[in-house]
Amino acid sequence: MMPRLLTALLVLLLVLPLGVGAQESFPTHPLSLVVPFPPGGVADLTARPLAPVMEKILKQPVVVVNKTGAAGAVGMSFVANAKPDGYTILLALSSISIIPEADKLFDRKPAYTLDQLTPIALISADPTVLVVQADRPWKSVKEFVDDAKKRPGEISFSSSGVYGTLHMAMEIFAHPAGIRLKHVPYAGGGPALTAILGGHVDALASGPAVVLPHIKAGKLRPLAGWGTNRIEALPGVATFKELGYENVEFYIWAGVFAPSGTPANVLRTLRDAVRQSVRDPEFKAAMAKIETPIAYMDAPDFQKFYDKDAKMLADAVKRVGKIAEKK
Amino acid sequence: MLETLQNLSLGFSVALSPPVLLYAVVGCIIGTLVGVLPGVGPLAGISLLLPATFGLNATTAIVLLAGIYYGAMYGGSTTSILMRIPGEAASVMTCIDGYAMTRKGRAGAALAIAAIGSYIAGTVSVVGLMFLAPPLASFALRFGPPEMFALMLLGLLVLAYMSGGSMAKSLAMAALGLLFGMIGIDPMTGFFRFHYGLVELGDGIGVVPVAVGLFGLSEILLTAGQATPPEVLKPKLRELLPSRQEWRDSVWPIGRGTVLGFLIGIIPGSAHIISSFVSYAVERRLSRHPERFGQGAVEGVAGPESANNSATSGAFVPMLALGVPSGPIPAVMMAAMMIHGISPGPLLITQQPELFWGFIASMYVGNVVLLILNLPMVGVFVNLLRIPYPILYPAILVFCVLGVYAVNGSVVDVWLMAVMGALGYLLRKFDFETAPVVLGLVLAPMLEMSFRQSLAMSSGNYAIFVNRPIAATMLLVGLGLLLLSLRPILTRGMDWRRRLGHEANPGLEEGNP
Repeated sequence: MMPRLLTALLVLLLVLPLGVGAQESFPTHPLSLVVPFPPGGVADLTARPLAPVMEKILKQPVVVVNKTGAAGAVGMSFVANAKPDGYTILLALSSISIIPEADKLFDRKPAYTLDQLTPIALISADPTVLVVQADRPWKSVKEFVDDAKKRPGEISFSSSGVYGTLHMAMEIFAHPAGIRLKHVPYAGGGPALTAILGGHVDALASGPAVVLPHIKAGKLRPLAGWGTNRIEALPGVATFKELGYENVEFYIWAGVFAPSGTPANVLRTLRDAVRQSVRDPEFKAAMAKIETPIAYMDAPDFQKFYDKDAKMLADAVKRVGKIAEKK
Repeated sequence: MLETLQNLSLGFSVALSPPVLLYAVVGCIIGTLVGVLPGVGPLAGISLLLPATFGLNATTAIVLLAGIYYGAMYGGSTTSILMRIPGEAASVMTCIDGYAMTRKGRAGAALAIAAIGSYIAGTVSVVGLMFLAPPLASFALRFGPPEMFALMLLGLLVLAYMSGGSMAKSLAMAALGLLFGMIGIDPMTGFFRFHYGLVELGDGIGVVPVAVGLFGLSEILLTAGQATPPEVLKPKLRELLPSRQEWRDSVWPIGRGTVLGFLIGIIPGSAHIISSFVSYAVERRLSRHPERFGQGAVEGVAGPESANNSATSGAFVPMLALGVPSGPIPAVMMAAMMIHGISPGPLLITQQPELFWGFIASMYVGNVVLLILNLPMVGVFVNLLRIPYPILYPAILVFCVLGVYAVNGSVVDVWLMAVMGALGYLLRKFDFETAPVVLGLVLAPMLEMSFRQSLAMSSGNYAIFVNRPIAATMLLVGLGLLLLSLRPILTRGMDWRRRLGHEANPGLEEGNP
């Protein structure tokens, strides 16, 4: 709270005398890196080590601000509607493309639209992994799918919330596999993991880092990964692509965004700063500790990746449809 | 057993090493301050300070965070007792009798009992954590949605014992709280309910702004509305300590609160919040003088304060034994471990014995530190009451606004607090109690979520609530309690008949000898 106040004061002090002339040199005062999720989550754990490294490069403080609420919508719409001067930037996860689509589904005024944000860089992309309770009989994706076809709607999975990333990951696999699973949503990834460990559901799509210790302890069994390549820590686990599910691909990714309309020179500075940051040994070490592989992409590549990802997620949201309408 | 003691001595060698001890003390001090600041509870405190631990090593980081956690639980009672402002949801019940004790000049005693109760609860529950963690944790994991629903239903029954006033009024207030709990995203369909275009209401109404508004602000407004200002209290030194009678009254509530809190705390989810509500209800139910509750009964402070502290340790059981993020606070602590390259999981105890046992030992140390820190502070805190109201109350208002804003950085929360303050003022003017509103609001989201998850699990079959043994047992207990609470209604009827009979008989005798 105090740093925020100080930042605000500093911003005021610095902005007033500089005014228009500031366009040439960026940045002249502290930046805020908005994380739309609470401290301790993947987004926060990526932003925290990124901020000090960017600070070194930009020669201005970069302050991480957790602006949470409504599954990230509060923080994302905050940045989407912020002044496009590059001083307010966003660290978002894959869910950024889901929220406006879900808003559309319910005919709500969207909290923000995707064209309000310009991608700067992709930082990491972690494929989800399909795990099942170790007591359950399925040893492979084939067994799982065969059984699910025999008993449609009976095999259950937990998720981080309805239309959440973990729900969408499962949908992206279940649809081409032609199976119908029973969805039990929880309030966040933590409770969803607790549920499968307690045996209250059968399966879960999850980021690898959090399930790894439970796989090692023999409580959960990994069946397949959603990535193009196998997960480094789980070399024995095939990808869905290897198993013949061509389009089953999903990553929990983290990327940096700025509000659309940010001047080109400012965007260039930010892109350079992020590019140098991800090569920094300190940042690399921090990401290694949270077992999240760095998958850097600069704006043009990231834009392509992001467009494709957003379309795939939009399709998945539409396929799931409005849940209340189903019987 | 022997092995445990050996491990524990390893733990103490870690916990008492100067750097770790220093961070434990620092954590406790920060935690106490965080707890004293109205609105900022342990979760907000830990989240705000998590980034500060990045530079430390894993053990000191965890010890620091744990210190903040239980420091905040201790500190939360201070403002509840002195100013009727709940530091967080768990200290709502402490407001009622704690503040009543303050008005009777027993603030020192209430604070001392709260500190000592917390100390005992903290220490005893760490022993529980140490010896019972693995078996209890596996049992706790069996609490799925149906069990959670049954537990929440039991929590709702607490209402029957919570207030001394009219039952109809309490039920109305609880219904209001449950309705407030319906605001926000529908957890099963993603539909926004009652958000009126505010994205901030998507997560529903936070308990903290509501509790601070209904309790703290309403008290300030009521005081301002009095014709003559209340007398400024001048606590005397010898009144700081609890009397012999107060000690005697507190012993059993502390014991019961400790056990109750620990058991509720180990259940994954946010169930620990209800531990203080349940403890208050249990004490009131068991008391021979239930009418004293609400008027400054020391049991109403001792029980809930002990319960919420031992629930704190209980919440660590699934986290440490199984690596399960059993609630929002353990989830943040697990993130702190991950930052330091430690994967919390079922193998934590064997792979990181120094971290695990150091953590356990530091909880003993931390509780002692907090007791040493808090008992002398009682004198200081109580003297805050000497500040004249025209200065004290505006200052409290400022701190309430700061605290509530700091949690989410949300102005909507501040407005919510203001509206709830006005609502609390009106309700109390009309003699409604506000605690059931908070209980309703705490229970509603969990009740709804677990109910609908259960039905999703069973594809809509209600039998799931009676087919699972734990859930069925709890529902049966609930039914029993419900019948018990109906008894006064039946017996009151009998009293009335008997009384009539008594009045009628003499007349009959006179008329017909």
